[in-house]
Amino acid sequence: MSEHPAGPLLEARKLTRRFQGLVAVNEVSIAVNYDEIVGLIGPNGSGKTTLIGLISGTLPPDEGELFFEGKRIEEMAAYRRAHLGIARTFQVMKPFPGLSVLDNVTVGALFGLNGGEHKRARARELARFMVEFTGLGRRMDQRADALGGPDRKRLELAKALAMQPRLLLLDEVMAGLTAVEVDEVIEIIKKIRQEGVAILVVEHVIKAIRSLSDRVCVLHHGQKIAEGDPATVFEDPQVIEAYLGTRRK
Amino acid sequence: MRWAALALIAALLAILPWVGDDVMIQYGINALLVATLAQAWNIIGGFTGYASFGNSVFYGLGTYGTAIAMVQFGLPFGVGLALGGALGMLCALLLGLPILRLRGHYFAIATLGLSATMAAIVANLDIAGRNIGLILPLTRNDAMFYEASLALLAATTLTVIWLALSRFGMGLIAIREDEDAAAVMGVNTTFYKVVALVLSSFFTAVAGGIHAYWITFIDPASAFDLTLNVRMVIMAVFGGPGTVFGPLIGSFILSSVYDWLASSISTAAALLFGLVIVIAVVFMPRGLIDLGAGLRRVGWRYLLQNIRLHRI
Repeated sequence: MSEHPAGPLLEARKLTRRFQGLVAVNEVSIAVNYDEIVGLIGPNGSGKTTLIGLISGTLPPDEGELFFEGKRIEEMAAYRRAHLGIARTFQVMKPFPGLSVLDNVTVGALFGLNGGEHKRARARELARFMVEFTGLGRRMDQRADALGGPDRKRLELAKALAMQPRLLLLDEVMAGLTAVEVDEVIEIIKKIRQEGVAILVVEHVIKAIRSLSDRVCVLHHGQKIAEGDPATVFEDPQVIEAYLGTRRK
Repeated sequence: MRWAALALIAALLAILPWVGDDVMIQYGINALLVATLAQAWNIIGGFTGYASFGNSVFYGLGTYGTAIAMVQFGLPFGVGLALGGALGMLCALLLGLPILRLRGHYFAIATLGLSATMAAIVANLDIAGRNIGLILPLTRNDAMFYEASLALLAATTLTVIWLALSRFGMGLIAIREDEDAAAVMGVNTTFYKVVALVLSSFFTAVAGGIHAYWITFIDPASAFDLTLNVRMVIMAVFGGPGTVFGPLIGSFILSSVYDWLASSISTAAALLFGLVIVIAVVFMPRGLIDLGAGLRRVGWRYLLQNIRLHRI
């Protein structure tokens, strides 16, 4: 671990994003260290997906600063952030519908970290590996729009992994999966971390957050209301209130 | 093997001027140029997924660029073609940067108005002969025009083959399939789209230049003709957009059908031609090429499935 430069891999300082009157993300500061998994939780509409959008470059922030390895990136186009090693999945999945599973993933390999693997044969090989790794091997040559929900989630993951990211932003990759499938994805994410990839994981499946996260951040109405190790955060009365409402006296 | 077959087809086409009669050669020039237009449209429309109605503008600029160079400056044909091509590319670059920010129908609509605008501009330029047009030097050498058209079609098709095999082409396809996803996966979408439009414009403009010298008379209305753009779209979509050979097959078949209809039942030709297209698009929305992938897929079942998949 000592080969990493000082400071976190990703650091957001007071990021703010408004949609007309609504402040979707309000002065949120968050950091992800090298080799770390950070869980990002919060009730629906708390700004988790918006924050992922701000970090990945799909949305420009209104205010605040974003650093990746100490470099300012909040003005940088999404594709250049991808070349730096930031990859994301989409909660509302965005497969390339008319392409095969393998071709979908090959795009990630061709264009990801440092502009990707330019040799098509080698990109395809990497993609093939990621398709197998995420358990889509049997669907390799199927069109993406023929996949069911759970397989589309896996495809999102495979596409992001083929980019050989250094920071992986996972936006609810477990939503709608069965308990068995959730366990499979947890195992996959653990293996990804062992490869030295830092991960920011947005999830409603609390079991997954508990077993994966080194640290948890809680968003509520666009603001960060708690941060810390999972056990402490889940006992925090403010967090419980955000999720369940005020306890009746 | 495939390359050998392609080379053989090209060689067979190339010897036509020595074995065919004048009518055949003239039909050939037209068919080759129209196929080039369909194939060039395929780059921006089929691969990148941006339904351009601005390609007739590039065609017109190629036409006028070549004509002005030859008539007003007395330059040779080759130089005229190069200038026409450059003019088309410059226009694509300047138009592409703002207009390619629009997506889907909005892009199509924004490009739709360009032909009429450009025709009006050209009709007021002295150097372009205002609305009377220009008359190019007469050259009776149909074999040369035929070979030039064939070479252009070959170059366009080789470019499309390169797209189908390269990282660059994969980027265009990713943009067509989902532009947001393509961007976060590392595709420089703006650059890719503009390059696609510029490539498309180059081949389209050069085709316009060859046609201008062959036909020897040009005017704003025929150079910036939106119906020509519609034909490009129809032929590419009929054959199979986003494939290498679909637009070629589509344009050759439709050119032949149209010529045959026009010569046998002249008045109702356009009507029947329209009917052919409607039926074709209804039953094989993804083109003739799709049909080749499995004959079983034609029929009502497939039609309904396609309506579900492709409805707006």
